[in-house]
Amino acid sequence: MRYGFVIDHERCIGCHACTVACKEEHQVPVGVFRTWVKYVETGQFPDTRRHFGVLRCNHCDDAPCIEICPTHSLFRRSDGIVDFDNQRCIGCKSCMQACPYDALYIDPNSNTAAKCNFCAHRIENNMEPACVIVCPTQAIMAGDLDNPGSKTGAVIASRNTSVRKPEKGTLPKLHYVGIHPDLLQPAQLAKQNGFLWADRREMPTTSGSFNAATTREVYDVSHTAPWGWKIAAYLWTKSIAAGALLVAAILMGIFGLQGSVVNVISPAIALIAVTATAALLVFDLKRPDRFFYLLTKPNLRSWLVLGGYILMIYGALAAAWLSFGILHDSVPAAVVWAAAVFAAGTAGYSAFLFAQARGRDFWRHKWFFCWQLLVQAFMAGAAVLVVASLELLHPGAVASLRILLESSLVLAAVNLLVELVLPRRTDEERFAKRFLISGAAGRRFWVAAVILGLLCPLVLTVLPNAVHAATGIAAVLALYGLFWFEYLWLRAGQSAPLS
Amino acid sequence: MKDQLPLNPAARELDAPSADLANFPPSSRWDDWTEFDPAQWPRRVEKHYSLIPTICFNCEAACGLLAYVDKEKMRIQKFEGNPAHPGSRGRNCAKGPATINQVNDPERILYPLGRAGRRGEGKWERVTWDAVLDDLGERIRKALVEGRKNEIMYHVGRPGHELVYNQRVLHAWGIDGHNSHTNVCSAGARAGYAFWHGMDRPSPDYANARFILLLSSHLEAGHYFNPHAQRIIEGKASGAKVCVVDTRLSNTASKADYWLSPWPGSEAAMLLAMCRVLLEENLYDREFVRRWVNWEEYLRSEFPGEPQTFEYFIEVLKRVYSQFTPEFAEKESGVEAAKIVEVAREVGRAGSAVATHVWRNAAAGNLGGWQVARALELLTVLVGAVNTVGGVAPNGFNKYIPTPPMMPPAPNVWNPITWAREYPLAFFEMSFLLPHFLKEARGKLAMYFTRVYNPVWTNPDGMSWIEALSDESKIECHACLSPTWSETALFADYVLPMGHASERHDLMSQETHAARWIGFRQPIMRVALEKQGRKFAFTYEAHREAGLGEVWEEDEFWIELSWRIDPDGALGIRKYFESPYRPGQKLTIAEYYRWIFENSVPGLPEAAHKEGLAPLDYMRKYGAFLVQDQSYKGHEQSVPAKELDIASVSPQTQVVTAKGSPLGVQIDGETYTGFPTPSRKLEFYSRTLHDWGWPEWAIPSYIKSHVHRDNIDVSKGEMLLLPTFRLPTLVHSRSGNSKWLYEISHKNPVWLHPTDAARLQVNTGDLVRVQTSIGYFVDRVWVTEGIRPGIVACSHHLGRWRLQEDSGGERWSTAVVKLQQAAPGQWKMRQVHGVRPFASDDPDSSRIYWEDAGVHQNLIFPVQPDPISGQHCWHQKVTVTRAAQGDRYGDIFVDTNLAHLEYQRWLKLTRPAPATEKLRRPLWLPRPYRPASEAFYVDSGK
Repeated sequence: MRYGFVIDHERCIGCHACTVACKEEHQVPVGVFRTWVKYVETGQFPDTRRHFGVLRCNHCDDAPCIEICPTHSLFRRSDGIVDFDNQRCIGCKSCMQACPYDALYIDPNSNTAAKCNFCAHRIENNMEPACVIVCPTQAIMAGDLDNPGSKTGAVIASRNTSVRKPEKGTLPKLHYVGIHPDLLQPAQLAKQNGFLWADRREMPTTSGSFNAATTREVYDVSHTAPWGWKIAAYLWTKSIAAGALLVAAILMGIFGLQGSVVNVISPAIALIAVTATAALLVFDLKRPDRFFYLLTKPNLRSWLVLGGYILMIYGALAAAWLSFGILHDSVPAAVVWAAAVFAAGTAGYSAFLFAQARGRDFWRHKWFFCWQLLVQAFMAGAAVLVVASLELLHPGAVASLRILLESSLVLAAVNLLVELVLPRRTDEERFAKRFLISGAAGRRFWVAAVILGLLCPLVLTVLPNAVHAATGIAAVLALYGLFWFEYLWLRAGQSAPLS
Repeated sequence: MKDQLPLNPAARELDAPSADLANFPPSSRWDDWTEFDPAQWPRRVEKHYSLIPTICFNCEAACGLLAYVDKEKMRIQKFEGNPAHPGSRGRNCAKGPATINQVNDPERILYPLGRAGRRGEGKWERVTWDAVLDDLGERIRKALVEGRKNEIMYHVGRPGHELVYNQRVLHAWGIDGHNSHTNVCSAGARAGYAFWHGMDRPSPDYANARFILLLSSHLEAGHYFNPHAQRIIEGKASGAKVCVVDTRLSNTASKADYWLSPWPGSEAAMLLAMCRVLLEENLYDREFVRRWVNWEEYLRSEFPGEPQTFEYFIEVLKRVYSQFTPEFAEKESGVEAAKIVEVAREVGRAGSAVATHVWRNAAAGNLGGWQVARALELLTVLVGAVNTVGGVAPNGFNKYIPTPPMMPPAPNVWNPITWAREYPLAFFEMSFLLPHFLKEARGKLAMYFTRVYNPVWTNPDGMSWIEALSDESKIECHACLSPTWSETALFADYVLPMGHASERHDLMSQETHAARWIGFRQPIMRVALEKQGRKFAFTYEAHREAGLGEVWEEDEFWIELSWRIDPDGALGIRKYFESPYRPGQKLTIAEYYRWIFENSVPGLPEAAHKEGLAPLDYMRKYGAFLVQDQSYKGHEQSVPAKELDIASVSPQTQVVTAKGSPLGVQIDGETYTGFPTPSRKLEFYSRTLHDWGWPEWAIPSYIKSHVHRDNIDVSKGEMLLLPTFRLPTLVHSRSGNSKWLYEISHKNPVWLHPTDAARLQVNTGDLVRVQTSIGYFVDRVWVTEGIRPGIVACSHHLGRWRLQEDSGGERWSTAVVKLQQAAPGQWKMRQVHGVRPFASDDPDSSRIYWEDAGVHQNLIFPVQPDPISGQHCWHQKVTVTRAAQGDRYGDIFVDTNLAHLEYQRWLKLTRPAPATEKLRRPLWLPRPYRPASEAFYVDSGK
């Protein structure tokens, strides 16, 4: 028993009845959609054609939204329907990143995630979904895909069908007949400054003059990027938090440094930063009141949950380090080792979280990203300790830190080069990369993240006999650059249209 | 619902029930249907519903709806389709489910309002229904008593009382006071069809067609959008090819095998070229044409000295249409000659299973647009696809109009303000000329009702409407019957809330396919409450209980008003509004429909009896009844022998008459009922057009449009504006109260081909000024390959406005504008701001994200009445330029003095009545609210 949809675009007339019937059945608020109809146009007059695509949740057999959902709010029923329980949802929006199809949205009434649930409440009453019964041309069919006797099963058995982004491995259960292939390739569509009968809520990031040779997107609904500055800031504070103790451990182990910088300042910074990190995460939730569901209703496959645990343990270790540092003036090696391991975890786990965002190809190079996060943590830790040591007039620490900062900047520069030359496999990735380096984010990226945030501090740190002030400026610039890098990289990852 | 079988059993493959899911609750459980509450899902919380059918009121199609009334809250939860409805078969377009928005609209008017300040000033106060009814009743009574019958006018946009309800009312009052919207809409097509077959609409049998030729956009709009779209796609799925003729790329055109985008106005040339191909290549149905076309009359009149044979007729036909070579058609239309020939051959191959349709489109855009319908029907007739399986039936064969109780006689009155002598052949009332007629002092109105009619916004030259409506000496009292604000309601004395689709009674029948059905609109909450044992004298009492304010239903309004006009029965009016069951007592609305269902619908009492129900209860339960399925060959019915006994046959025309009225026509010795034309045949040759002053257009021909290429000088920046197309989600000015429709579509940029955009140096989003002979508007550009170079197109439905910030317009869909009269007749409109979020009981109103409400283009169109059909010719010759310095989005300027000059210019094209026998209009030609025959003569009916 596997319920699925078949949508026959040879029959679909693009009338939006399904959109409205769905809104009515589920009282979907203005501004968000469980199902919608996208229009594209191809060809030149008089051989122009408009094509429609009915888009919605694919009820994937391997649904990334279920995997990433930290609280099992999203789940697969035994009949194959991917359903959700908004009373478990904490509004983390990670499902929106995981879904390669733009199927989820945050309901502004409940501030929880929602999507097409195949009208499961009707299915249990033996009734077809609302979009199916309203469809004037019976283009939408719902039924058991495994049963060749059902309408859907029969179509799948007898006709050519296609699914959206099969390469994502999600095993979609929404099969299309006769859909125009360009509707399945949203990143390639040309966009205009509006739609044929509606406002465009976000102006296109790439819109040139009209080009009849490409397929034009002429009607669509809006999908905003789920993650913004708070998540960028979370990456930034997390790098500082992780870096503070990673660097302290190296200062202790390699440079043999002792004293307040490593015993007190570093763990204090780590503790403050990890608290800030957690706070940012909670504030980014649409339902911050439910943050504790991570503990009470955890999905242990979700890196959001695992990451949360790592942050908590790391916070505890930083607190232990700080207590030893203040009370005993020295920190046991076990604590240092454990803290170093969890610092690395704190820095790097996000790579696995972002990789679970199967919707965002740009973020899915997890090992490279993990390495990048570690380097960023070193850089942030070194930089923030440089600033702290300068404040404390601790020249010895500054000298060692300068070496660490310099090396991490060199590594970051190498990483940047890799990022730039890394082969991008999909349209979406290429789209995101263009967005980052030559598109809407391009100027900010080159000026703030690269020149001011990476090259300038690099130059300042490698200057022979650099004065402390120069190191301090380098450190501040590095932190500044890191924030912009995270912010723009985050935006770039969400820039390519999923639908 | 069983559909017709013959040609394509495959069409119904999809109707087979799925393996395990049902599409609708079984009707046996409609009284108590249980569903899980989706809002609380996945917790399984049961909700109990009473399922009550009604009829959608968004477009004219009259699709069935099934209201789910939450029994606990006694509120309508949702509307689904009504599976028992033969036309819509349980399915709807986007506008069906959006009905719930209209019911729950926080902006709707719930109580009657009277104006407090000057007319149009925007000040209102709540009044009582009692006071309103007394005032209106007294005004009407006074006018009737004083013999000012023509000063009472009921002007309806979308007819809500399609099936003669209001004819009964107005005829009971003894007036010719009906006015409609028809000639801003379908008069062109209607005239063309009516001259052919006496019925003014086509009813194509799409589902069984082998070829479908649309001069319309019935997959997205058009008049029977949802029922037709279902069947067009069925036909297509079983192999029919589709050709769509539409200058802009419609959604319908996108689904077609052939999209022909002609220069607007050249359609008839193209169609006649196709006819020529059929004739030259012998692809026509010789036998059908010989039997059913009035070729003999044609030869007799036009070629008296020539052989009166069918062979000679064919020869003449070939000669007459020889000029319409595919190359000529290409020159006129810009459509490749080869494509025209290809489509013609497809039509020929499909033979009698060709479903053709023109509605609005070219017929509504052009001078002579009615000849487009004539040309299209010629094509249909040539292949014999009339009343066939897969062909086209004249609508009367697929529609059923039950007779109501106590039908008053047609009065001997003729209203020259609606039926002006310049337009004796018009379809129908010259409604959009009313301001100009009043300006010329052709009359005045003591009482003017507008109902679902928004002339200020919908009609051309709306500023002239504002001037007329503001003038209390011309319109003494204006009552606007409307559940929502409109641009016209702003200029009323009373705004009286009447029910939406689910808040009133009505009876509908539309020719959606080859069958005849009736649909029953009901006030859902009244029916639901009455099921619980409550009783109400009037629907508004139930509405008051259901939280719907004091919304009336107009059926009861007219009964009540009629009693107040004639309280003691002295005027002879009251008796038509008394119960057929309780003599002398006031007619209740239940009694009215009970009588109809018991007496006027064949088969209904029997069907009801089978279920153990009274006919009225049967209709309350199912909301629809199929009177006849598989309705074909309507013209080939034989005349009952009893009637034939007393009949005589005209030796010249073979028309069979008895007691002065035609019964049918004899063909090859057999008598058939035929068509309701003077010849009882299909009138290729219209003697009527010939006799009424238009001999040059008596046969289907090509009239060069007012926007013919020769009249547009591209080198001067002139272009052709196509302003008529509709969107699948909206309907005229009646959908501004549907948030879910407006969030999908809310603006109407000017479509421009890339070559024109390059010439004007504009891109999508840039402002242009579009200038007609009386004014201009400023709108944004939408660059698209979906329009022919040289043409600009702008969608109808958008550009709604209000004058006050907090009242007078739906805030979901209107921009706030400032309206100023710089000098007499010089009107300027400027948007203060677009749509904005607002606070209300509905949290969605604060989530409005669209700002654009579109641009009100119709204001800048002069009236352009076709001298024959009376159709407003919508297409405009315009000059398109980049916006001038200081121009802002939505700016409008109009000079109504110039508008009146334009009116006079077009009036000069007419050839006024009387032409023959001192008639105001041919006696046989259809006319709504037809008065007594004596009234047709110029000297009578005074």
